Amino acid sequence: MTTSRFPMTDAARRGAMTRGEHESGAPVDVSRRELISLLTGACVTGAVAGTGLSASGSALAQGAPRKGGVLKVSAPANPSSLDPATGGAGSDHAFLFTIFATLIEWDYATLKPQPGLAESWSYPDNKTLLLNLRNGVTFHDGTPFDAEAVKFNIERAKTSQRSNIKADLATVERVEILGPHQVALKLTQADSALPLILSDRAGMMVSPKAAQALGNEHDRKPVGAGPWKFVSWSDNQKIVVTRSEAYWKPGLPYLDGIEFAIIPELNTGLRSLIAKQNDFAYSLQPNQKQVIDRAKGLKSVVGSTLYCQQIYLNFGKGALADVRVRRALNHAVDRATYVKLTMAGLGEAAWMNLPSTHWAYDKSLANCWPHDPELARKLLAEAGHKDGLDLNLLGYTDQASVQRQEILIEQFRKAGVRARFSNGSIAEKSAQYFVEKQGDGLLSAWTGRPDPSLSYSLMYMKNAYFNASQTEASPELTAALLASRSLDDIEGRKRALAKVQKIVTDLALVIPLAFPPELVAMGPNVAGYKPSLLGKPKFDLISLTA
Amino acid sequence: MDRKRLRLVGRRLVQFIPVIVLATFIVFGLMQLVPGDIAVTLAGESASTERIAEIRQLYGLDRPMLMQYGSWLWHALHGDLSRSILSGEPVLRMALERFPATLLMVVYALVLSLLIGIPMGILAATRPGSRLDGFVSGTASVGVAVPNFWLAMLLVASFALERPWFPATGSAPFGEDPLRALHFATLPAIALASGGIAEVARQLRSSLIEILGSQFVRTLRAKGLSSGQILWKHGLKNVSVNLLTVIGLLFNRLLGATVVIEAVFAIPGVGSTVVHSAINKDFPVIQGIVLAMVLIVIVVNLIVDVLYTVLDPRVNR
Repeated sequence: MTTSRFPMTDAARRGAMTRGEHESGAPVDVSRRELISLLTGACVTGAVAGTGLSASGSALAQGAPRKGGVLKVSAPANPSSLDPATGGAGSDHAFLFTIFATLIEWDYATLKPQPGLAESWSYPDNKTLLLNLRNGVTFHDGTPFDAEAVKFNIERAKTSQRSNIKADLATVERVEILGPHQVALKLTQADSALPLILSDRAGMMVSPKAAQALGNEHDRKPVGAGPWKFVSWSDNQKIVVTRSEAYWKPGLPYLDGIEFAIIPELNTGLRSLIAKQNDFAYSLQPNQKQVIDRAKGLKSVVGSTLYCQQIYLNFGKGALADVRVRRALNHAVDRATYVKLTMAGLGEAAWMNLPSTHWAYDKSLANCWPHDPELARKLLAEAGHKDGLDLNLLGYTDQASVQRQEILIEQFRKAGVRARFSNGSIAEKSAQYFVEKQGDGLLSAWTGRPDPSLSYSLMYMKNAYFNASQTEASPELTAALLASRSLDDIEGRKRALAKVQKIVTDLALVIPLAFPPELVAMGPNVAGYKPSLLGKPKFDLISLTA
Repeated sequence: MDRKRLRLVGRRLVQFIPVIVLATFIVFGLMQLVPGDIAVTLAGESASTERIAEIRQLYGLDRPMLMQYGSWLWHALHGDLSRSILSGEPVLRMALERFPATLLMVVYALVLSLLIGIPMGILAATRPGSRLDGFVSGTASVGVAVPNFWLAMLLVASFALERPWFPATGSAPFGEDPLRALHFATLPAIALASGGIAEVARQLRSSLIEILGSQFVRTLRAKGLSSGQILWKHGLKNVSVNLLTVIGLLFNRLLGATVVIEAVFAIPGVGSTVVHSAINKDFPVIQGIVLAMVLIVIVVNLIVDVLYTVLDPRVNR
């Protein structure tokens, strides 16, 4: 058998360090047959775009995907529900993506929209989104996927009393069936964020027959059209899915099934991998990277994510109503040190709400908040706080949050800001800040949305849930946000979103801190995993080696 | 069972009714005092205040506290422990699924505590002041002082990761394969039993030393009984009531200690369920599990009370 040698380029290695598996930097050995097989597989899946050589490099090293086997996964949280419309936790997606196919998919590396159950889409006018649906797809219970199913799903998400995604589809006025495999979403206003919204919960198609027959029980017995069929869910214990032979992507999935063991304690989850009881663990903490590296036979994948640790600021009241104070706070934070201390140096400093790998990232804003305590003091003095500023922040009680708080208190102190944290559970403090409007700010995170317009709208629009001030930051921002949702070409949107980001930064409406990495650990037999910017794992491309 | 014992059981059962009501009411009341709102959790990440209010109404969380508790109690009296607000699963089914793993671990730990703790206590008590006594007392002190979660992690590192003799996480159903279930439960049970072994050994040692130094033992020696006869026939019989009390208390304490051990070993038992439900304020689950735990503690106490009358007839007078 002929063997070729493919040394990784510098770019590929950099990519591997940020998005793909950690490589030793050694040349990769691969047979011609493996290369052909991999390239064909990549064409079939259509999911390699955007991952560059890093993903290819790591996949090549692992050989061609083998069909079969059951992947054992250590999952950090029990799902809130397995019905995409009724669940509410961001951690549900790892399970939902296995059972449900989405109308639109995204590119792993950039989150640009890609065809899913909708083969193509277009905006014939700015208040209509036309979806051309894939033919020949069936749900796991045999129900055909067609325009009727899409209409049922969107109307259910908009009107069901138990739906948690009504807000996601707020701009959809009605669904018109134009043909057996074509629907038009009629909108109340221009909304180019919709395609990516349909790559999330709102686009996960549920079998209409099953949803009607099961009612609330569908939460626990979901029926979708994804790569795997639901088998069982033992609460807080185990979730099992098995291969759907009717899945529409040819050749996929590779795995016969997945068994999720619910292990909320992350160190215990990692130990289960070291003991070879499980093959895959995700949502690990950066400090666990050292443990993975030391463990025999374990591999790690470090990817960047949209998950942004930040301090939400109530910019409508007290001292924080003054933009100079908010700018001072941003200059007081030493983000490089923060990343080093809280994420073992594996994260990325955040200057805005998007990481550098995102398609809408505005390069001109990189390092827009240089660490400068003196400038911070000067700005505070200009704003009338010559003797410093008392800042009452809310936070969470877990060990990692408290560590972050200690670092920030010290950094603020150097700039003359006396920060104090009032801590409690996530639910309690989030409700106190966002609902009851207590405190000057909240040290928390933005978990990310596939479409950046949605992220910015949810945080900075007047009366948005995550805008504790409930005020309009500026009319220019409102106009820019609306404009970012009214364009449907990616370059136009990129420019519009750059404007949004510039205004948000100029007004210092938030203190972005850092993007923690997506850290995944895998056994030596696991191949093909690709991290996504969303930070929520998809298992479609994973295979088990013999 | 004679009439006196039956009367004792009947009296205890009547006393237990207010204990059950009070325990569940206190837990329910504490849940109301704890900050946080399950409606916020249920509503999802970006829910509006209207949506949260809608959920409160949907699940009856906007009703007065006494009405919510009364409704739960009424249904519980009719055998309906309600459903988890978070998962929608029937609480009774959850409890029946979770208890076997926890009980196996607790009983296993209790057996280990007795099998190791009793010989240690006897050896130390029969040679007071000796090196062996010092060793037993020292080991017992370490057993009490060492946190069981730390010991659990050491055990996992040594006997699951370094030498793959036992599983690092999880459990197996006892009904399907008892040996496999015991294999899974061994490390958690050892970690749990460390404090129990120490407690049994220390209590037995001090009780036995007191008995062996008493006047009636001196009389028995004077009558020519051997040390072995004195220990096995008279010494242990007299400390059995103390030992029984320790066993009763130990069982209840082990049941509580499973919360941490279940987290370390990822065992889906009642401990982890209570923690998960308490964090999310899923009160029907907490109420149901607390009720089941109270019932178990009551049954254990009742068995201990009945055994007292068997071991020491004066108790029944």
